[in-house]
This record gives sequence, C-alpha cells and structure tokens, in this order.
Amino acid sequence: MNKRDLTNLGERVSAARDATEARGETFYPGPSRVHLAMYPPKERWDNWVELDPKSFPKRVERKYMLVPTTCFNCESACGLLAYIDKDTLEVRKFEGNPEHPGSRGRNCAKGPATINQITDPDRILHPLKRAGGRGEGRWEQVTWDEALDDIAGRIRRAIEEERHDEIMYHVGRPGEDGFTERVLASWGVDGHNSHTNVCSSGARAGYHYWMGIDRPSPDHANAKVIYLISSHLESGHYFNPHAQRVMEAKQNGAKLIVADTRLSNTATHADYWFSPHPGSEAAINLAIAHHLIENDHYDREFVRRWWNWHEYMYEIHPEREASFEEFEVILKELYAGYTFEFAATESGVDAGVLREIAATIATAGKHLSTHNWRSAAAGNLGGWQVSRTLFLLNALLGAVSTPGGVHPNAWNKYVPRPIHTPAHPRHWNEMTWPLEFPLALNEMSFLLPHFLKEGRGKLDVYFTRVYNPVWTNPDGFSWVEALTDHDKVGLHVALTPTWSETAFFADYVLPMGHGSERHDVHSYEQYDGMWIGFRQPVMRAARERDGVRVNDTREVNPGGVWEENEFWMELSWRIDPDGKMGIRKYYESVERPGERLSVDEYYSFMFENSVPGLPERAANEGMTPLEFMRRYGAFEIAKGVGQVFEQGVPREELRGSHEGAHGRVFTSDPAPIGSNIVPVGTPEGDSEGRRPVGVNVDGKVLKGFPTPSGRLEFFSTTLARWGWAEAALPNYLRSHVHPSVMDDDQLVLISTFRLPVQIHTRGGNSKWLDEIAHTNPLWIHPSDARRLGLVATDLVRVETEIGHFVLKPWITEGIRPGVVACSHHMGRWKLGDQGQRQIMPTVSLDRSSERWSMSRTEDVKPYDSPDSDSKRLWWSDVGVHQNLTFPVQPDPISGQHCWHQAVRVTKAQPGDAYGDISVDVEAAHETFKRWLEITRSARQHSPDGTRRPYWLMRPLKPAKDVFLLNEEPKHGV
Amino acid sequence: MASERVELIRALAVLVEEPSREQETMAGVLGLRPSPDRIEYTNIFVLQIYPFASVHLGEEGMMGGEARDRVAGFWKAVGRTPPVESDHAASLLGLYAGLRADQMEESDPARALLLEQAADALLWEHLLSWMPAFLAKVREIGGDFYRTWAELLMEVLADEAASIGRQAALPLQLRSTTEVEEGSSIDECVSAILAPVRSGMILTRKDLERGARSSKVGLRVGERRFILKTMLEQDSGSTIGWLRSEAVRWERIHACLAEQFPVISGFWRGRAASTIRLLDELSDVLKHKAS
Repeated sequence: MNKRDLTNLGERVSAARDATEARGETFYPGPSRVHLAMYPPKERWDNWVELDPKSFPKRVERKYMLVPTTCFNCESACGLLAYIDKDTLEVRKFEGNPEHPGSRGRNCAKGPATINQITDPDRILHPLKRAGGRGEGRWEQVTWDEALDDIAGRIRRAIEEERHDEIMYHVGRPGEDGFTERVLASWGVDGHNSHTNVCSSGARAGYHYWMGIDRPSPDHANAKVIYLISSHLESGHYFNPHAQRVMEAKQNGAKLIVADTRLSNTATHADYWFSPHPGSEAAINLAIAHHLIENDHYDREFVRRWWNWHEYMYEIHPEREASFEEFEVILKELYAGYTFEFAATESGVDAGVLREIAATIATAGKHLSTHNWRSAAAGNLGGWQVSRTLFLLNALLGAVSTPGGVHPNAWNKYVPRPIHTPAHPRHWNEMTWPLEFPLALNEMSFLLPHFLKEGRGKLDVYFTRVYNPVWTNPDGFSWVEALTDHDKVGLHVALTPTWSETAFFADYVLPMGHGSERHDVHSYEQYDGMWIGFRQPVMRAARERDGVRVNDTREVNPGGVWEENEFWMELSWRIDPDGKMGIRKYYESVERPGERLSVDEYYSFMFENSVPGLPERAANEGMTPLEFMRRYGAFEIAKGVGQVFEQGVPREELRGSHEGAHGRVFTSDPAPIGSNIVPVGTPEGDSEGRRPVGVNVDGKVLKGFPTPSGRLEFFSTTLARWGWAEAALPNYLRSHVHPSVMDDDQLVLISTFRLPVQIHTRGGNSKWLDEIAHTNPLWIHPSDARRLGLVATDLVRVETEIGHFVLKPWITEGIRPGVVACSHHMGRWKLGDQGQRQIMPTVSLDRSSERWSMSRTEDVKPYDSPDSDSKRLWWSDVGVHQNLTFPVQPDPISGQHCWHQAVRVTKAQPGDAYGDISVDVEAAHETFKRWLEITRSARQHSPDGTRRPYWLMRPLKPAKDVFLLNEEPKHGV
Repeated sequence: MASERVELIRALAVLVEEPSREQETMAGVLGLRPSPDRIEYTNIFVLQIYPFASVHLGEEGMMGGEARDRVAGFWKAVGRTPPVESDHAASLLGLYAGLRADQMEESDPARALLLEQAADALLWEHLLSWMPAFLAKVREIGGDFYRTWAELLMEVLADEAASIGRQAALPLQLRSTTEVEEGSSIDECVSAILAPVRSGMILTRKDLERGARSSKVGLRVGERRFILKTMLEQDSGSTIGWLRSEAVRWERIHACLAEQFPVISGFWRGRAASTIRLLDELSDVLKHKAS
C-alpha cells in the first residue's frame, strides 16, 4: 500500500466520522480506550440491547430504552441513566449518564441503588390520612383531591386571617433551586425552613463573611495541593464529582492533606493525615497562615488588591497610616501568636508535622484547593471560623478563582430564571429567624420545638418535605412532643418518598417520587464551569418518546406517587381558585391563559429563554430545548469561568456612578436583568439610593465580590457592627468541647460522620445500601477502652448532658485518644407496621414525668415481601439513635447546631439493653435556654434598627421594609 | 500530519478493541474484510498475544510494572490522566492521534512545537519500540481480518517513523532492559526467554504447544512459564533446540522489518541473536554434561 492509499483511507474515515457526528451520533465506539466512551453511544439510547445477567448462562437479550435523570439521594445531583425494559416498561437498573458534566458518567453506590428505592416493598404508594391519634400508626388511604382540598383550605384561611407565620415548609433534601421558595413567596408567606443549621450553615457563614457567597467551589482537578477538612473523598459534599477530581489531581502529582480526627477512607488516601483534637482546626489553619505571612509566602499583590485592608485600617487603626505596608506589619502582629507550638498544644498534633504541612501548602501558590463543609464547622461552638480560617489560606495565596484554587460557588452555578417570579413576602417569621440570631446564615430550624414550647407562635400547616427532624435533628423527643401537640401544630403534612420517624407523627403522608419519578433542574459547583442537570420522571420521558402524551406525572408513577412541582402548582391553584388572592397568576399558563401551568410549559420556557446556548445546541440536533434536556439530561453552559471579580464593569452601567468610601462604586443605572438567578449577597446601596456596581482597584472599576466593601472581607464590618467585634477577623474561638471546659472523665463524641453508602435516613429504603452499612458502633481508642475496662463484647452506655444511649464499642486505633465517634445514618426505628423492615426495628416509646425512653420490642429480621431478597436478610444489628440524646447547642453567630458532645462513657449498667435511649426533655429545654444566653440579640445590637443585615443571603428574603425591627418582639423575650 | 491520518490511526486503534457493531462499521470504512470476529479477537488478543506495551517491553514480559509506569508517566507529562490500562495499544494509538490533532489545531508555534515533540517522543519511545514485532506476530497468527489490520497498521507506523526520521538514541524502554544472561538459573532463563524485549522473540501459548510437539515432550497445562519450564525439565536438549529454531526464525522476522524500522528492528534482531548464542552455549553445556 502506498502513501496515497493511506491518505485515501484516512479521508474515508474522516468522511464517515463527519457524517456520523452530523447525525448527532457517536463515531468512536464504547467501550473504547481511544476516546472516553465507556457507555452506550447516545444515538443507541432508544434501543440498547444487553444480555440479561440473571439468565446466565443462557443468552437472553433485553431491549432497553435509556432515559437520563438526576440522582435524588445526596445533593451532588449526579447524572443517571434509567434502563427501561422496552417489553415490560419497567426500570431495570440505573447507571451513570456520560453526558453529565459534573459526574461524567460515574456514580457512587447510592445512584444505582435508586432501583431499590423505587421497588422497595415498604414504600408509600398512596396518600394517607391519619385515622387514629398522632403516632398511633393507623392510616386511611385518601385521594389526592381530598388531601389537596383540605390542605389548601387551611392555608387559604390562614392567609385570609393574616396568620401567614403559621404556615411553614421544612425541607431536608432540596429539590429545584428556588422552586419552593417561590411557591411560599407567591403565598406571601415567610415560611421556608431548611435543615441547613444542622448541616452546613457554620461553614457557609465562614465563607459568606469573606466573599458574600456562602459556598466554595474548589477546583480540585487542577490543584497542586488539596487540603480537606473532613472526609470529602468518601462522603463529603458533592462527594462523587469532587472525589473523582481529587483523584485526578493526585494522579497528576497533587499532594492531599486531610484533617480528620477519625482515620476515614479519605485519610487513607492522603499524603498527610492528621488527627486533631476536635475544635482545634482553626488554630491549625491559623498556624499555617502565620507561616505564610511570617515567611512572606503570601501573594502580596492579591492581598493588596482584593482584601478590604483599607477599611480595616480605617475602622480599627485610625491612628496608624492607612498604607498597605503598615497593614502588613499589623497582619504579622495579628497572627504572631499562632505558632506551630500553639497549634500543637491545642490540637495534639506534633508541631513538626504541622510545619511540614504548612511548607507543603506554601508550595501550592495559586493552585491550593481547600474544602470544609460540615465536620469541624458543624461540630463546634465557633466552628464557622474553621471555614473562615481555611479560606484565609486561599486568600493569602491568591488561590481564588484560579485553576486549582477555590471559586465562589455562584460563579460556577447556574439557576435559570423561571417563567414566573413572585415578589418578596411582606412577613417575617420569628420562629425561623429569631432576633437572637441576626447573623445566622439559615433558619434556626432545630430550635422550633423550643420556640413552640415557649409560646413564641404556633403552626397551622406544617410541611416536612423529604425531611426527618425527629430522627435527624438533635433532641428528637422535643420534636415528638411538639408534633403530637395539636395546639402547637395544627396540621402536619409529610411529603416524603419513604417512611420516616417524622412521618409517623404526621396527619397526612403524601408520597413523593424518587429520582426517577420527579422533575427538578439542578446546578452545582463541581469544577470551574456551569451546568444544569435535569431530573425527570423517566417513564414519562419514555412514554413521550413512544408518542404518548403525559399530562400528569401520576399517570406514569407507581400507585399515587406524585412529584412536587405539579403538587405545589396544583395546591397553590386550589388555595386561590379564582385568582382573587393574587396567587393563582403565578401558576397560570402563558400559552393557555386561565389554565394551570404544566411542567412542560414551565421547563420549555426556562430552557428556551434562560439557558444560554441551549436552544442553539438543541436546534443543531433538530430538537427543542426541552426535548434536548429530556434526551440527554444535562447541558454545560460554560467552562473556565475564572476570576469574575477581576472583570471590568461595563461602561453602560457606570454612567451614573459614584465612588464611595474605600473604593466602593455605586451607580444609578439600572441593573441588567440576567437569566442566572443564583443567590449571592446583596450589599446595600448608598445614601442616595444608588446600587453597588463594582469596586475601584488601581483606577479600574471591577466587578469585585458581593460584599459591602466589594472586596474579600478579611475584616467583617458586619460582625463588628452587630456586636461581635472580637470575631470580625479570621481567628480561633475555643469550642464548647475544648479540654479546658471538659471534666476529666468526659470524652468528646463525634456524631456527624457519614458512611459512604448511606444518605441521612433516605438510604434506609435501599436493600443494597443497608446490606453494606447498617450499624454504628462507638469508635473508641484502645487506651480509653483499657482505662474504662471495656472489651469488644461489652455494651457501653454513653451519657450526654440530657440522657444516654446504649450501644456496642468498636475498639480501634482509628480514633484519637480522648475522642469517641458514632456514625450518622443508623439507629432507625418504627413504632408499628409502617416503615422499612430491613433497617427499622420496632420500638416502644415511654414517657414518665419529664423522661422519655425508648426500648426495642422487635429486631430486624427476614420477612416475606414481593421482593424475595427480604427473606435473605442476614443482619439484625442496625445501630442506635444517638441524636435523641443530644441537646440543642446553637452557635450564637452562625446559628449552626454545634454537634460535638461532651460525654461520659461507661460499661452498660444492669438492665441496659442494646439500643436503649433515655432523655430528660426538661433538661433539654434548660440547655436550650443556657445557649440562648450567649446570643447577642438584634434588639440590643442592631446598628441600624433592622432585624438582620439586609445584604446577607437568606433562602427566602422578605421585602426590605420588613427587615425593620418591630416596636416589641411578638413573643415577649 | 493531516487530519485524515489522525482519523486513520484512531480507526485502526479502535480495531484492537473487542469487536462490536462499531468495529464492524469501522472495518467497513477501511475496506477490511471479513468483519472482525469476537472469537478470533479473543483467541489472538486475550489468549495469545497481549496488546500491552508492558508485556513486550517489560523485563518480566508481563502486564504492568515499571514498563507501564513509564507509559503512565508519559501520559502525565503531556498533561493527560493515564487510563487504567495506559499502555494498551488502543490507548497509546489514541493518545498519539490526539497529540497530533492538538498539534495541528494549536495556533501558538511554540506550543505546537512542544506538541510535535511530545508526539514524536510517544511514537519513538512507546509505539515503535514494540509494535513492529507485535504486529509481525499478529500477522503470523491472525486470520484474514487481523492479518490485514496488522499489515495496514504496520504501513502507517512505518510512514510515521519515516516522517520523524532517525532519533538520537534507542528508546529508553529498550536501552534499560537486559538480554538473557549467561549463568542464569533455569527460572531466570525461562522468564527472560518469555520476555520479548529480552529474548527478541514473542512466544505464545500456541507456540509452546507447537514446541512441545516438535520436541516430543508432554504439554503440561499451566501458564507459559510453567509450560516452558516443564518442557525443559522433560527434555532440555530438544526443547533448547526448538527454542533456538524459534530465535533464528525471529532474527529473520526482524531482518525483514529492517527496511521500515531500521534502528528498532536492529535492536530486536540483536536480542534474538544473543538468545541464539545463549541457547548454543546452554546446548554445549548440556552436551558436555552428557559426555
């Protein structure tokens, strides 16, 4: 063959490739090492043939239609492909969606386990209404119409009678960004209540005070050094998308540093793992910062341009020259005390190790990727300073929005503007946003039973939505008391895909779909880019591919299982059937005035008008944008967003501009209406009513950050002015479990760590996940076990401030001495027949005087069900519900529940049995009051007569004038 | 290099993967007949000759090890994440095509030059260092489809080799290995003979079956080292004789490749010649012992 023949052959291949790809098909096959193509080529998703593994060794072909959706288990929103059997129209399995830019076709165990969740023999398939007393376990099946009319009627009456604050929606796993907030806004209700203050609000606060945006977006894949506080490789936030990028970076030579008191799976992959005393993490971060500052390893130019040092000098050191050089002198003074020796004393980690880690971080330059989400920030009093001091390292190195650095999440996230956007509500709910916590990042959700007990208010309609506060929140028996008291909670509606300890106490249990049975649009910061993912009822998409029109997701979901978007639209419509309350207009079709908006129209509008590039991309493949999203499930809007803060402000926005103090630039030009409505801080305008538009940096007006100063706020004027001057800089606040405040016989209990395959209580309906992980023994170091005389076969009693629980010990060197640990997820229970039999033993709850107790009456065991696997159940040890014994411990600044507990561990006492719980709810209430004493109320500390700094993010923000303090607080405290 | 060449290399790379519908399409586009067959694919690439650089270039003649690490290091050096089987022929050809494609698309001359140098290095160090001998063996044992595929890929590689010209030194992968050494134990000797880069020959399971028949020894079932060792234990003289004939045959095969790949085939031919010498010495020792 001569060279011309080879050229000719090459031309033929090129032509074939061009022709194939012009049809939107994949030329190079999967699986193939030549290209990343480990998945069925997308053009064959309508008709994919695989051999049925269960028929082996016979070769039985199964014909599938592959339909994308988005996992609904953790918040990562990874792409899934549902394999729908074309002969039976059943979903057979879930695998990864290679078209998803975040997860890139990869999933953790929880994604494929969706098949267990949709086929769970114990799942709730129809709307249920309580037939006996709350918690009695007697239910009657009702129609959706009956439930909707009842609930809508109560809400209508509450709104008409100006009892807006008696309507509350309490969310666990968020669905579509902003969807339910808009529903509540359309009702004029400030009723959004999230789980975030038992989760991430501590870390969020630390980030938000710095950059006006409350989430980090670490670009792990391009980092030279990755510093994780907690076990992000196995269970952290955005676990799968981040974990794969962390491993990519490691393969490229990046160093991984992990701070985790436990020897987690993540720690085993680290180049440096250290096990600090819980609560000392910020001291370590500051020692590293001190090293960077003292040795001039920081990016001087970045600090000069982007920190609000000038404002700090002006406010705190007016006597000194306001020059950057003088600030540098002060910076060295500020952190001089945070030596490695100091950090070693606080943390118990050797100073030499810390020095080596600091030296490694110093080599990262602008490629330092750091992450803290829950763990230390969620465990400790002052935990929010863990993320604040962690981001200090990025801010020192200039590793902000750089490749391999940390990006503010709002620039890596896209929330498309929907068809209707209601106005901000004109109410302020003081049970979620109490005056004692003016700087809290999220609703004070876990204090609700205590506020109800104090008589601060009551609830007429209370929705728990994919949330299980009785189990998940601390002090669950106070929740049981509140939920069983009809004077406190008039109607409790549990919207849930699965039975939960909270649903047992509901008046209505309304079955909501799993990841393959509902619509949502998602976007999360998982790398320096922006994407949207589409969750959809896969059977609906499959039927529509076959030309069958589906008008309501219930037509294709099992039983009466619904999805939330249609539910909220229909409920809102029924609250205001004639439109007189001004609610219905937000749910009306634009195409068919007078008719209810359909999800197809809702998403068609969004994808056609609010997602840049999607209409063009869809048109290239001969599809509408909605068809494209139903087909592929995801779309990448941008990649390599970079340093938005360095971008210049467009000239047309600066015609009416004015420069205020410290270079902040305001303008009277109207803000352009963008299609990305991702939440960020909203710094206030100047006294002339001009809005902040940018910041003058070296003579150029740049976009900057959404903070009051427009810069990164090393010095938080917000904290300083709202009564927390001593916490205004990144510094170290001693935890409530600091050794100096603990008794000699107390240990620190870490209770928040997660198991890689479970997700809160929602994984409990998956037999595969339960088989892998179903118990939570107490991790205890051999030296502590010896001191306490414990052996592996003992039972131990763990005493908290308000009660105790009994469980098995796991004696291991994987935990540092003086600390014990017990995992999240486990210790589920049920009261009667309802519930997941594979993970929930039956218990009895008893109350005598102020003391609640729980004991097991029937263990988990094999059972008959339509799923033959339920007869093969081999486990009975399903853990202990420790959270019931924890009092609420709200951080006075961030509002985060401080999860770590000071406990006493002893051998179990005579009569103790595995799983026993005992709690004094009056003691719990006393603890609540004691923690409230350290708050600094807006009433005394507001600098401007408002309840809360207006600029801080708030999931559902009321109208601005509602921020003004009332004359007297409603609840009289 | 033109973009058509890039696609041709990718297409040829795809064909060293397990056949599926796409491979059939690809074969059709290339005019290769008959269509690739899964049974033949398994027989050749799963059971006989493994399409991994480490098997052909590693001291141990096995998958993985330092030889694969070197390849993985190359992936990292050019800023790519090494796949799990970074040294599979398809991966390497795909990477080569990718680097050439990037080189063509790069507008910055300095960066384009770097990409060109990277692609040249990949071709020389990790493809030409072993693929001619590998393809020669596929040509020998393959049916119509894989024989034609191997010939076509050999042509393309020869053309690519000509385009980069003579390189300053032998590929490191070749330079860093040792030939079969005199005085080795029988285990070491067997390992070295079965490591292509050391002995200069590729001996498949089928070859050993043929050798057992030719040497009139029993064929014990096991992996190749076990088979060869038991052949030597049964009748070392005739087994060494058969091995020598194989080495001679491989010396000729490499000689035939000299026009297309002069430097590389020279190395491999030299290794085969060394093996012949060693086997002759072993044979002499055996005769001496017998006398």
